[in-house]
Formats: sequence, structure tokens, C-alpha cells
Amino acid sequence: MSSATILRLTTSFYIILFFAYLFGPLIVMSITAFNSAAFPRLSPWDCFSTEWFGVLVNDARMMDGFKNSLIIGFAVVLVSVPIGLAGALMLSQLSNRVRPVFYTLTISTILVPGVVLGISTLIFWDRMGMMFNAGYESFFYDGIVLTVIGQSTFISAYTMLVFISRLQRFDPVLEEAALDLGATNIQTFRKILLPFLKPAIGSAAVLAFLASFENYNTTVFTIVSESTLTTVLASKVRYGINPSISALAVIIIGLTLTVAFIHEVLKRKEQAREIALKKEGQSVKEKSTVRKPFRNPVPVMVLLIFVVGLGTAWMARGYDVQQCKIEVFEEKRKHQEELSKKRRAEMQKKLNTQKSTSSSDPVESTKKAAPGTIQYGNIFAPTNLEGQVESNETEPEIQKNQYQNIFAPTNLEGQVKSENE
Amino acid sequence: MIIWFQKFFERNGVVLSLYMLIVTFIWIVVMFVLPQIFMFDFSFRFNWTQIDPSKIGGPEDIYTLQHYKFLLFGSPNNPDPFNIVDVSVFARTILAAVFVTLFDVILCYPVAYYLAHVAKGGVTRLMMLSLVVPFWINELLRAFAFRILFGEEGTINNILLFLGILNQPIDFVRENIALYTGLGYAYILLMIFPIYNAVESLDRNQIEAARDLGSPWWRIHWRVVIPYAKPGITSGCTMVFMLSAGALALPQIIGGPSSLWFTQIIYQWFNTGSNWPRGSAYAVSLLVICVIFVLLIMKIFKVKFGEIGR
Repeated sequence: MSSATILRLTTSFYIILFFAYLFGPLIVMSITAFNSAAFPRLSPWDCFSTEWFGVLVNDARMMDGFKNSLIIGFAVVLVSVPIGLAGALMLSQLSNRVRPVFYTLTISTILVPGVVLGISTLIFWDRMGMMFNAGYESFFYDGIVLTVIGQSTFISAYTMLVFISRLQRFDPVLEEAALDLGATNIQTFRKILLPFLKPAIGSAAVLAFLASFENYNTTVFTIVSESTLTTVLASKVRYGINPSISALAVIIIGLTLTVAFIHEVLKRKEQAREIALKKEGQSVKEKSTVRKPFRNPVPVMVLLIFVVGLGTAWMARGYDVQQCKIEVFEEKRKHQEELSKKRRAEMQKKLNTQKSTSSSDPVESTKKAAPGTIQYGNIFAPTNLEGQVESNETEPEIQKNQYQNIFAPTNLEGQVKSENE
Repeated sequence: MIIWFQKFFERNGVVLSLYMLIVTFIWIVVMFVLPQIFMFDFSFRFNWTQIDPSKIGGPEDIYTLQHYKFLLFGSPNNPDPFNIVDVSVFARTILAAVFVTLFDVILCYPVAYYLAHVAKGGVTRLMMLSLVVPFWINELLRAFAFRILFGEEGTINNILLFLGILNQPIDFVRENIALYTGLGYAYILLMIFPIYNAVESLDRNQIEAARDLGSPWWRIHWRVVIPYAKPGITSGCTMVFMLSAGALALPQIIGGPSSLWFTQIIYQWFNTGSNWPRGSAYAVSLLVICVIFVLLIMKIFKVKFGEIGR
């Protein structure tokens, strides 16, 4: 094997490893959404179930935050796309001396930590409100308005970058021709520049919405007393987690893939049209652009994922989650019984040996053997209370190494069960 | 200046000119610069909103350095020579951000090079798209994913235990391994694209020439590709550094229980501490130190600020 081959193999291996790092966490998270266990995990796998999607939909706080996030997202698109467009047009007309300064200022909005942007927006409008003696109901103190302003500050820079890259390919001769032929400035803008920028407007809008939807650092300060999906998520994730968050992730990943797919198709269409236009005298053939998406791997992959998802959903119809849960429950109980039997046998053996040597204190050995005493050792385990509450509705946790692992998060669930027996 | 305005209005017409001027003014001045100035101003004030709101704007509403002093030296009856908790958290945050940045450079440079010069058409597009998709998944959800992976009963621990590599689960969260991998993961895209943009424009003939002259692959990178990609690498580093130093969600969710991130302290002053001026003082310090740090790095590597974000 030549050294070039080895090099190529290592590179391929590295690239595969890299994409595993990129997608592994997302895939694992998505799968945990379908595990009926109360704690998001891959193994041990309990039952395939879609109940966590139901839990998610019935979560009023989450849905409320989701609604606010949507409102904010659309508002941010409406604010930041015009700003980004103005910024990009401005940049193209500034003199060479001023341009770097302007560019630096606009890019700084991205580089300044989101936390700082959120704080400064909050303080600024608070002071403004004080200056105008505005009441607490006015927009100076409205979490949603402030969040739209705070997010737009840096999202406008994203949209501006999109417009800049599109404007670089714009032929200013077109504009001059229109003006020479007697069009007004506004006509030129509407009939020449805007149609040219149309795809960029679309991309910028999608980008702005997604950036707004996933933002946390700025939002958490500017949102004041309201809540968005991300702030609700943050408080949920910090205090105990359950797979309904994975279910949300599945939905968001699905939506993102769909948006990415549509975006890709549109972009390809656009490119194909441009190539066709460049070939003099050739009319744009819709046929070739329609057929094209199926020749590249991206849509095929997405389609495959979709089909597989549909297939599993269909398969799952004829499958009873409750039945499976009862089975798993039984299995665990058996397993646990075996364990406790074994343990009892061991204790007995120990006791016997101790008795035979007759040197030990009998009280202590009974203490050791007494079931349940050691269980109080973990009353401070992190998710105890949660477990207690949840154990009413979800099936008890596995028992396998209760005694070695007293601080494991879902201990108590198991204990509650064992005390019932 | 006036001539420029005349030309500007002549070229764009009144309506468009006003649109551009007013909108960019609102964006840059009202939405960005003024709030920063107000925050800076606010960080030098007493916390009257909590102590006695009637004194705001009164004769006692004067400037003070107490919040910056607090950051450095702690409360007046602090026995230590300086505020050990906050200062060490600050230092650790900067250091960890540097570490995350280095991790991302090393991780992303080969991929960016591969995308620009090795991969062919369709594969490149597919890889580009797969790079972008995880970036648009909510940051909190990504943090959540890392919690599932790195938890004490998480997937990685289970796999390692199953394979017999470990006898006992490792607490990745407490060791901050989860946090660093999570932060590195979050900003991969911001590192790859600048490097990719820089490397892509490199003339392949230069690489061929170096190879023909007998240079091994690592020297080609060291002497030809990396010097050429320097602006891209620096701008990627700047973004990753600034964003990971200013990250809040990831440290909150997968940070170890004993180690704070500086942004978390700021957050505490705003929320539970109810001391906005002190929070702003901390935020200003973070911003200033980060900017100085970045400018210093740029000076060392001789890269101009205007090249960032391209």
C-alpha cells in the first residue's frame, strides 16, 4: 500500500468521524424520543412509544412559549430583512474610506456576545421608558417588543451578509440603462434591483427566522416576564429532563431538514435558470430544472428518511405500547427478584460464617441484613422527588445496581416499587 | 461630506435615500451603539432602583466605581486580596474559550480543506448542507443532546461499560468534558466557513508545485495552505472565541456543578441578584477584555478587522 493510499484512507476516516460527531448527538437524541423510559436514554431500551409527543403537545407552558417564539420570529423577519437590505445597499455606495468603518460596526453586532446585546437593549429601553415617564404596560417594558429589537440588532447583520453576496453579482449597467431610458429611481429599484434580489430576500428571511427561533442568550434578558420556547426549554432542561424534549427535537430536526430541502431545490432551480439564461437565445426549459433534484443525493437522502419514518409509524400502528410496557415491567420485576434472592442468599451465607466463627456482634449482622435500611442513604439523590411523582404514571425503573449506584438519578422510582412488594 | 450626500440623493432619489439613511441610522445608532453607551454609563451608577427608586436622577445619582471594584476585590469585608471567585471564573472562562477555539481550528481545518480541494461537486454540496443543518437546531436542544450522551447513565458511558473499557461510569459533566465538546460542537460551522472561503481561492497549481518540488503533505500545509488561509483562520477563531466566551445556554445546562461560566454570574446579578448596574459592569468587563484579546491576536497574526465575516 502506497503512502498516498494510506493518506487518503485516513482522510476519509477522519471525515466520517467528523460527521459522526456532527450527527451522532442529534441521532441519539431523536431515538430517545421513542423510548418509553422516563429518562431519555438509548439503553436499556424499554418500549417503542410515541407517548412523549403527546406529553409535549399537552405541555401548556411549552406551547405558549412556542407561540411567542413564532410571533417573535416573524416580527424579526419583518424588521431585519429591510434593515439588512438598507445596510447592504448603503455599503455598496459608501466611499472607500468610510466603508471599512461601517462594515466593522455592522459585523460587531454579530461578534458582541448575545448576553451583552440583551443587557444593553434591556437597559437602554428601560432608561428611555423612564425618560418618557412611560407606564409598565407601554412597549418599553414589553418583553416581546424588546426581544424583537434585541434579536434584530445582530440578525440584521446576517441578512446584510446575504444581500452583500448577492449584490456582488449585480451588474450596475442594468440600473444605469433603466435610468437612461427614463425610469425613476423607485421604478428602477422595484423593477430591476428587487427582482434580482428576490432569492436573497427569501434566503435572508429563512435565515432570520431560524436565527430568531433558536436564540437564547439575548432573549433570556430581553424577554422580561414573558417566555419563548427557548427560555421554557432552558428552565425545563435545568430542572430534570424527560424525553418530551427529545420529541420536540425530532419535530424541529424534521422541520429544519424540510426547510433545508426546499431551500436547496429552489436554489438549484435558480441556478439552472441563470445558466440557461447565460446560454444566448436558449429559452428556460422547466423540464430540465424539474428533473434535476432527483439526480443529486440530498433530496434522495431526505426522501429516504421520510419514507423510513413513515414506515415505522405505519408499523407502530399494529403494536400495543401498554402490552410491551407490562412485559418490560414483569421482566424487571423478575430480574429484581433474582437479584434480591441472590443477595439474601449471600447475606445468609455471611451470617452463617459469622455465626460459625462466633466472634461478631449478632446485632450488627442483622442490621446489615435488614432490607430497606440502606435505601435511606439516597434520599438526597438529584431527581428523587420527580421520581416519586412520576412513578404513579410511568413504569418503575430498573433495579440492576441499586446499591452500588445510590446517586443515580432515577433510583427512587425503583424503590417505591420495591416497597410496594 | 455634503457633496457625498448630494451625490447620494441624486443617485437614489429622495425616497430611497431617506429609507437607506434612516434605517441604517436606526440600526447602527439606536439599536446598537446607543444601548452599548447606556450600558456603559449604567455600570457606573448605584443600584438605586433596588435601594431607593426616588433617588434616580436626583443629586445622589452620581457615578461610582463600586461595581468594578467589586469584580476585582469583592465586598469590603472580603479577607482575600481580591475577589477570588469572580476573577478566577473570569480567567477560567477566557482560558476555556481559547481551548475551545483551538479545538475547533484543529478539528475544522482538515474538513475545510477537504471541502475546498478534495471533495467533488455533489459530495461538496451534500457536505455543506449537512454542516448547516445541525447549526439550525436549537442551541438548547444541542445541549440537551450532549446531556443524553454524556450523562452518568448516558450513551457513551453505557457503551464504554459494555465494551469493558471502563469499570465505573465517568462523570463527564463534572469533569467539564461535556461542556467543552458541546461548545466545540456548537461553533463548528463558524470555523469551517471562513477557512473554507479562504482555502477555496488558493490556486491548486501552488500545491502541485510544492508537491513536484518534493514537499511532503504536512509541509505543503504548513508552508503553503495555512499561510494563505490565515485571514480565514483568524476570523473563524475570532467568532468562535467571542461566542464561546459569551455562551450562556450550554454552561447552564451541561456545565459542571462546581464550575461557573462568567456569563452565568452576569445572569445571576440580573435575575436573582437584582443588581443591574453590577451586572452591566460585569458585562462591560467581559466585552472589553474579549475585544482587547481579539485585537491582540489580530495584531500578532497581522490580520485586519475588515476581513472578518467574509
